This record gives sequence, structure tokens and C-alpha cells, in this order.
Amino acid sequence: MPGPSVRLPLPGRSAAPSTAAPPTAGPAGDGPAGGSGWRLLPALLRPRRRPLAAAAAWSLVEAVPALLSGLLLAAALDGGFLAGRPGAGLAWLGLLGFAMLFRAVAMRMMFPCLAAVVEPLRDDLVRALVSATVTRAAGGAAPDPAAATRLTEQVETVRNLVSALLRSARTLGMSLVAALGGLLILSPVVAAAVAVPVAAALAVFARLMPVLLARQRALILADEDLTARATPILAGLRDIAACGARAQAHAAVESAVAVQAAATRALARAGVSRRLVVTLGAHLPLAGLLIAARPLIEAGHLSPGEVVGAAAYLATGLDPAMRMLVGVVGSWGVTLTVVLGRLAETVAVPARIPPGPPSPSPAALTPAALTPARNGAGRPLPSRPLPERPLSGHRLEVEGLSFAYASRAAPVVHGLDLTVAEGEHLAVVGPSGVGKSTLSMLLTGLQRPTGGRIRLGGLALEAIPEHLLRTVVALVPQEAYVFAGTLGENLAYLCPSDPRTADRRVREAVDAVGARALVERLGGLDAVIEEPAALSAGERQLITLARAYASPARVVVLDEATCHLDPAAELRAETAFAAREGTLIVIAHRISSACRAGRVLVMDGADALTGSHRELLARSPVYAGLVGHWRDDDAAGGPSPRQVTAGT
Amino acid sequence: MPDPVPGPSHERATREHGDRLLVSLARGSRAPLAVVAAASLASCAAVLVLPAVLAAAVDEALTGHGPPTATVCLILVLALTACAEIAGMMAGAAATASATSSLRVRLTAHLLSLDIAEARRSPTGELVNRLVSNTATAGRVPVTLVGIATGLITSVGGVVALFVIDWRVGLTFVAGAPAAVALLRVFVERVSGLYDDYQGAQGRLAARLTDALAGIRTVRASGSAEREITRILAPLPELSGSGHALWRAQARSVWKIALLLPLIEVAVLGAAGLGVADGRLEPGQLLAAAGYTALGLSFVDQTDALMALAHSRSAARRICEVLGLPVPSAGTRPPAEGPGALSFRGVTVVRENTAPVEDVDLEVPAGSLTAVVGRSGAGKSTLALLAGRLTDPDRGEVLLDGRPLREIDPDALRGAVAYAFERPVLLGGDLAEAVSYGLPAVDREAVREAARAAHVDDVIGRLPEGYGTPADTAPLSGGELQRLGLARALVRRARLTVLDDATSGLDTATEAQVTRTLLEGMRGRTRLVIAHRVATAARADLVVWMEDGRIRARGTHRGLWRDPAYRALFAAAGEASPQDQEDPCPARP
Repeated sequence: MPGPSVRLPLPGRSAAPSTAAPPTAGPAGDGPAGGSGWRLLPALLRPRRRPLAAAAAWSLVEAVPALLSGLLLAAALDGGFLAGRPGAGLAWLGLLGFAMLFRAVAMRMMFPCLAAVVEPLRDDLVRALVSATVTRAAGGAAPDPAAATRLTEQVETVRNLVSALLRSARTLGMSLVAALGGLLILSPVVAAAVAVPVAAALAVFARLMPVLLARQRALILADEDLTARATPILAGLRDIAACGARAQAHAAVESAVAVQAAATRALARAGVSRRLVVTLGAHLPLAGLLIAARPLIEAGHLSPGEVVGAAAYLATGLDPAMRMLVGVVGSWGVTLTVVLGRLAETVAVPARIPPGPPSPSPAALTPAALTPARNGAGRPLPSRPLPERPLSGHRLEVEGLSFAYASRAAPVVHGLDLTVAEGEHLAVVGPSGVGKSTLSMLLTGLQRPTGGRIRLGGLALEAIPEHLLRTVVALVPQEAYVFAGTLGENLAYLCPSDPRTADRRVREAVDAVGARALVERLGGLDAVIEEPAALSAGERQLITLARAYASPARVVVLDEATCHLDPAAELRAETAFAAREGTLIVIAHRISSACRAGRVLVMDGADALTGSHRELLARSPVYAGLVGHWRDDDAAGGPSPRQVTAGT
Repeated sequence: MPDPVPGPSHERATREHGDRLLVSLARGSRAPLAVVAAASLASCAAVLVLPAVLAAAVDEALTGHGPPTATVCLILVLALTACAEIAGMMAGAAATASATSSLRVRLTAHLLSLDIAEARRSPTGELVNRLVSNTATAGRVPVTLVGIATGLITSVGGVVALFVIDWRVGLTFVAGAPAAVALLRVFVERVSGLYDDYQGAQGRLAARLTDALAGIRTVRASGSAEREITRILAPLPELSGSGHALWRAQARSVWKIALLLPLIEVAVLGAAGLGVADGRLEPGQLLAAAGYTALGLSFVDQTDALMALAHSRSAARRICEVLGLPVPSAGTRPPAEGPGALSFRGVTVVRENTAPVEDVDLEVPAGSLTAVVGRSGAGKSTLALLAGRLTDPDRGEVLLDGRPLREIDPDALRGAVAYAFERPVLLGGDLAEAVSYGLPAVDREAVREAARAAHVDDVIGRLPEGYGTPADTAPLSGGELQRLGLARALVRRARLTVLDDATSGLDTATEAQVTRTLLEGMRGRTRLVIAHRVATAARADLVVWMEDGRIRARGTHRGLWRDPAYRALFAAAGEASPQDQEDPCPARP
């Protein structure tokens, strides 16, 4: 029966949504095929038991016409058209039409129930994904480049397939039951004979499922792998041409294309046995019925009408039901399982907060984890113990600090000792790539050192409660984060506690860092920033600087946070921060930043030196190199010294 | 260099081109497609005769005399259907797989041999989308077409069979069908509008997540992950609202369709039943009529396939846009022997999205360090692309040691000209392979030597896995990436090396070291350096000053420095600003 299946996604096409691939695809994807996917589904469905039950009830009503069709047809023939009473025959058929009306009404009633299952399920999945992705990235993991794809395409695949499956699964179950039930009422003998091959077919199909799952998963991974391989190559067409590496690049894409094509064919081969299940479950009983019909009629076990009715159940009830079984479960179900499995991997990985002891997995596969916004279960538990005493001042003491990315890798920081008094202004300079940003992460407790310790106000960083540390210490990174929202929301981002003082602080900050003209150009604090990327990089930096200035932080670390400002604007912003109450640490972008600071830390490989600008000129060849480089330019007829910069 | 503008122009590829591509795809996978068509026709025929054969078999069983020929027929038909469907399924997958992969391979080869200025007109994401997604959509077309054709044949066949059984029965069906078509159209229109809203809300959610991930360091440092989650999820109620609206629209339409189609069936059965009562029809024919009605109504199932076909045509058009881009002709001669003298003779490039070059005549002396300076958009990067034939001039000729680049075999040319870029893309597996990309024979020591010369060896040493760190995930800053790109150029030891703003991301101290490599380490080889910094120009043997695609002046830096407009060039490039009046290093009060 066609009709309501119009909006269902085609099984073949629903594999496509996951093609935009996470580069992590390959090895990470070889987990247990779909196992986690099937565990996620009950967790998603459990809170929706009521609408599910209602949908099932309406399904029963909807199945009535299918159940009656053979009976009514037999009655119409035996009691009407064949008995010379066409009126009665038409009346029986009219009854069938009436039953169909029931079916349509039941269908109408069932949609809201399905919506009540599928929409909240999608909401939960979106919430779980967003909170797991953000929590994990905020815990220091590399942001997932496929996150947006998961949020849109993969979640949408799940939504489509779950609704398609719910609608089809019940149709499937009902038509199977209706065909067999109708047969049972019509003729228990035939029903019993048919049940055997049907059971055999179901058993064969169950054995087939793992193969189908594995092949479907292989296809999705091949799609993802193709994207992962092709993306850098297409991004680097110029570089490939310049390196004369066309053949190498072509071979790389071609092999991924070949793997994908092989996966497509392998999935199709698995489909052969699916089709044989239909033959076993539906066609074998039909042939059997017709061969046995004559002896059964002659023996008086069956009437001619019963044979017609039974053949109708088998041909128009059981056959489509078996086809649906292999199509719906063997294709949509398999895709759903595989996609859910991929999503479950995302939702399930515990968020790791590098500083502090490991906290329990915040996003385990429980219903609670899927509704973090409601009950707070998805949040990382506070991992820091409460302080035994409050901070005494904000002096920053660094002792023997070391850090390396891996045990084999050369250290970025080695045995650094440093004390920054409260209110001091320190600049950090060094060649690019020497680890200045890593130091900023260490000093703000965002990266855990591999050796040594950092104390703030007498307390080790790890002993300070997370919320207090984040309030007292502000880091402004080079890449300015401005989000879609009002300008005021963006500026008050770090002083959320008290809206009234926040407003005053924000206005002061805007004036202090020199963002007044920008705020006015955008239309005041209530102006909505629709598309942050439409602002220039310098404008976004100015907003983040004003935001940090307005915050209650007592230690501010600017990590090349002024690199897109012109030197005059940079001077104004830095001077404002230097005059602001509290400690200022500037990872210097231009050498002029170092000149303004009271003290300078020069990083050069694992060595570090501190001192004033003048002292370092004498003591540190690296610093002299950084500062003095322009003198060559001058000698060569270059610009005056004041025009020279220290970085990008 | 101006950023490439998204999407090639649409007038290049019309629907006709796309349709021609689809036809060529179908032709390319002829053999499996023929199997698909044969199998589809066979199963279509089997499906059409099945109700009749079933009816005959039932009648035979009821009347009870003669050999069971009809039943044997039925079994044969069922077996044939199974075989045909299996063959069709396998051949269909083979046809789709071969059409898709041949299209992908063709597209890849085409993209890789494009003129770079043309290739960069499309953003990478667009190209990936075409290579992965559009090809898959287009690759399914041949099989979809066969499916639609046989589906329509089945539908028409079902209707014809109803007329054959009894014209009254056929007429009953035809009377009901238009209503079904009308309902379907209303349904499709209603739902597609709502779907736009839904996708809009989805897009906003994804954009917020992408933004937050881009600013994750700020989020971490602010301890505001929870607030961010709430903020990202703000469009969720909207999404949910559109989702529920979609369901309501479906509920309104689908139940009518679900009512109408069975009613058509019941009406057809009624007409057939009257025929049985009149004695015109056998009881089995009533069953046949039910079967053929279902077949006749199967056109409803083609709605999806037709929508997919429309989708595929636009995918094919998008692929044609890329395939339609011209590929420069490949030369065949080896490079001329020589020290690496580069000549531009009357070179002009005029095309959209590329900074123009107009009538440039320039001799780059062999073994010299030549700096090209000028404001952005002056044509410097276009000149760099021309120097190694990454793009061809529209007029004029570029020659290396007296031989036109167009005549030189592309692979051999790559051995003679090396490039380093402002934003290099690292390819290959790990960092060592990234440096030696395209040169499989280069050993590790040569790679290390080049990395040392580019002052990136120590940076690599600090990475988790050193030279074995995967290139795509290595935590590298812009300056570090540039130095790796430089190492990749140095390892080639080409007679001409083109550096397109390849040291802009370095701090001054590192740049000084790298400049030393350029000056001393590469002495004797020709270096063409596009530069924004005054320090680079100051050290060049020859400075070429470009403005609006033409050479405004050439000479030594010292000589040009007397021109205030030349000096202003470096002030405006961001090196300093006029209002920067602070003392260079004030003693702090």
C-alpha cells in the first residue's frame, strides 16, 4: 500500500548525510559496530513512553482494515458476487471502505503522538551533543571540526530514521500480525503451515543483521574517509601544483574513491540474502498454499472463498510485510544504528579538565545525560576542593615551572622561576613558536605544568576553586571571541553577577580602552551583533579588551590580544590596562609593548631571563636581537626605529 | 591577493551541460545499466503478470481439474522475480559505484590540472562538496532513471491490465487517480516551505556552536562553558516549533492520501465484484483487479525518485561548472640549461577575481634576490603565480632561461621552480613527508637540513612526535607553518625559488635569521620575493615596485627610498602608522 510512505527518506540516500566527515574517522570509528548506537536509542526513547504507547494504540486501530481486508473480500465473493447477490457484495466492500476511514482517522491521530516522540528526542540529542562538545572543548581537547555536521546532518538523519522506523515498524509489525492473524481466523491449518517458513525467514534475517551493520558502517566510514582525504588536497591545489605532486595527490584521492566504491558493492552483495529472506518468508508459503489448495478443497478443509482470502493475505499482506522487514530494519535500522553509534561516541567521551583530579564522566549514556539543561547532570562536577583559607593578595609565584607536550618532546618551559607582585606590569617576549602562549595557559591554570608549581595569593592554582580562579584571572587570547548577541551582552560577559554595577563597569571600560567610537558606530550597547565575522579583527579585539577591562579580574593576561590594533590603539589599550587596578601580563606582539612594561621576561627555548628593558638589552642577546634588529634596517636606509615591530 | 569569491559563475554551466554529463555517465556504465534495465523490465513484467497468474492459479485450484500449469507458472514467475531483483540490485550498485567513482576520478584529475587562479575561485568547502556529495547524487541518476521508467511502465501496465480485465474496472480507477495526484502536489508544496524554516533554525544552531568552538580559549579562560551551552541552544525552541509544524502539515495531508488511495481500491473492487456477479469475470479476476490497482497506484512511490532527479540535475550542473574550467595545455620540452634567469615579456593577465597584471616586461637576473613590493592588489601575487606557471598569462610570455614556460614539461618545470607561500597548506602524512611532499626520493637528513635552514627544526623538536607529528593536526602557529612551507621550498634546491609573502608571520628576530638563509644559504640561486616588509626590500639586489598591475619603478632599495611614495608603501602596509609618535623605548617612570 503506497501513501503515507511518501515522506520517508530513501534508505539508500540516508547513508549520505554523514559524508561531511570528522577527520578522526578512520581508526576511531572501528569500535563495536553499532552496539553503542542501540544502547543510546532506548535511553532516548524511555522518557517518551506515553506518546509511544499512544502511537502504538492508534497503530492497532490503523491495522484493523488490513486485518479485515481478506475476510471482507472473501465474504463479498462468497456471500455476494458469487451468490448472485451483488448488492450484498457491494455492502461488504462498503464495510471495507468504512474500515479504511478508520485507518485514515487513526493515522491522523497518530501524527501528534509521533511528533511528541521524535521532536523531544531530537531536542535531547542536540542538547547532549552541544553540551558534550562544548564541555570537552572547554576541558582542553581540540575542538571537533565535525561538530556542526553532527549537529545538523547526523542528528537529522536520526530524526528522519526514527520517525520513519516508528511509522514503518508498527505498519510492519501490524501487517505481519494482521496477515498471520487474518489467516488464523480464516483457516488455522493454513496459518500454521505458513508460520513455519516465516519463522525460518526471521531467524535467517536475524543472523544477517551483523553483516549488514558491518557493511553499512564500512560504507559510512569510507564516505567520511574520502572527505577527510580530499579536503586538504582540494585546499592545497596551489601547493600541490607548486610541489609537482599531482600524481601523488591524484593517487591519494583515487584510492579513497576505490575503497568507497568497493564498500558500496559489498553492501549490495549483503542485500542479496535480504531478498532471499522475502522468498523464504512470503513466496514459499504462497506456492505451497496453491499446490495444497486442491486436495484441501476436495477434502473439505477449505472453501474456495477461503483459498482466495488466504492467497490475498499472502500476496498482499505477507509479501509487502516481508519486504518491509528487510527494507526497513535491514536498511534504515542499520543506518540508524550506525549513525547513532557515531553520535554516542561523541556524547559518551568524558570531558577531561586537565587541571584538577579527573571528574566522573559527565555525559554517560543515561537519560539524565541527555537532558543536562534540565537537571544539570551533564555538567562537569566541581573538581577543585574548597580552599581552606581565602586568597591573601594576588601575588603570582612560579617555582621551577616546566612543560613539554610529550615526554620525548623538547620542553617548552624548563625550570622557570618568576614572581609577579600584585599590580605589576610584566611583558613576555620571545621569538615566535617559543611557547609564549603555552606560558599564558600555564599561568592561568588552563594547562597543567609537567613540573613545578604556580601559586596565586599563596594558594596553589589547583587548590583555588574553579569559579574563583576564573573570576580573579582573565586571559584575553589573540583570537577574539565575539558572539551573536547584543554588544552589551558581549561586553558584560565576564561580570555577570550584578547587572547594575556591570553596566557602569562596561561603560567605564569602553571609554578606558578606546572602544567608544566603535560602540557608537555599532549603535550603542543594545545594538545586536548578528554576524560577528562581519566585524574586523581589530574591532573584535577591542570588544574583548573592553570585556576584560570591565571584569572583576585582578590578574589580566593579554596574549597578543592587541595584534590587530594599530600601534596607537594598542598603546591606548595597554596604557589603560596598566593603569587599571591589578596585575597585567602582556604577551608582547610588538616590541613597544615590552618597552612600556616595568619588567620583561625573555623566553628563548627553555631559557628565560627577566629584567627591565635596559638591563635586558645588555644581558640578553636574544632580547637585543629582537629589539635591535631594526638597526640594520636603519643602516640600510630603512625607516626610523620607532616604526619597527616585534612580531606579525 | 584578493580572496577568491565563492562559487564560479553560473552562466558557465547550464542545465543542458548537466544533463549531457548525466547522459555521458549513463553511457559510461552501459553494461551494468543494461543489466539493471533488463532486470527491472523482467521484474516489472513479472509483477504485472503476477496478479493474473495468481488469479489463474487460484481458479485452477478452485475448479480442480487438469495439471497444475498455472501454479507452476506462478512459481516460475516468483523465482524469476527474485532472480531479476537480485541481479538488478547488484548491477544497480555496480552501475552507481562505477558512475560515481569515474566521475570523482575525472573531477579530481581536472581539479589538479587547473590553472591555480581559476581553481581558487571556489572555496575549498564548495569543491569538497562537489567532489564528495554532488558526484554521489549524480552517480545515482542512471539507476534512478531506469527505476522511474520501469516504475511508470509498471503503473501504466497496471492501468492497462485493469482495462483488459474489464473496461468498467479500468474506468473506475482512472476516475479516482487525478484526485490522488492533486493531493500529492498540495502535500509536497506545503511541506517544502516549512522545511526551509526548519533548516534555517538548524543553521543558526550550528553557527552558534561553530562560533563558540572558534572562541573556546576565551570560554575556557572565562569558565563560561555552561553559559555558552545555554546560549548555543537558544534557537532550539524555534527548531522544535518548526519541527512540530512540519508534523502538523503532514498529519493534515497524509491522512487524506491514506484515505483516498484505499477508497480507489475499494471502488475498483466493487466494479470488479459487479462483473463477477454478472458472470463477466471470474472470482480470481477480482483478486487480479486488486493487484493491478495497487500497481496502478505505485506512481505515488515515484514522487521521491522524481524529487531526487531534480536534485541530481542541479548536482550535475554544479559538477559541470568545475569540469567546464579550462585546463592549460602541457608542454613537452625539458627546461633549457641555465642558471635560472626569469623573463616576463609583455605579460598581461586580465580576469575577474585575480589582481590584474598589465603589460609587464621584467628581467630577473639569474642568481639574484629580487624583491617585488607594492600595495595589496597591485598584482604582486599574480606575478608570483606567473613565474612558475601556476597560472598562464592572457597575453605575453614568461621564460625561464630563454625557454617559454608553456613549452616546458610540467613535471620537469617543478624541478626548476620552487614556491613558498604566505599560508602554505601542508600535505602528506607527517611533517617530514609534508616537507618532502612531491619528492618521494628525498631522505630524512635533507628534510632536517632544509628545516634547519628555515629555522623550524627546533619548533618541530618541541612537538609531541617531532617529525612524525601528523601534518594536519600539528599545533603550529602561522609563523611556524610559514617556516615549514619555506623548508618545503628549500629542500627542492630549485634554480628559481618564488617566495610569496612567505615570511610575513615571523617575528623580526626569526625573520632576520630566515633572511640570512635567503641571502647566504641560497646564494647563487634565483630568488623572487614578494615582500611587505622594508627589511626584505632593503636586502634585495633588485626591487621591483608594482602599482595597479604595472611596474612603477625598479632599482635598489636605497635608490627608491628617496621617493616619499615608496616610503609610504611600507608605512601603509601596517609596519607603522603615522600617528605612532611614541618614543621607541621610553624609560618607564
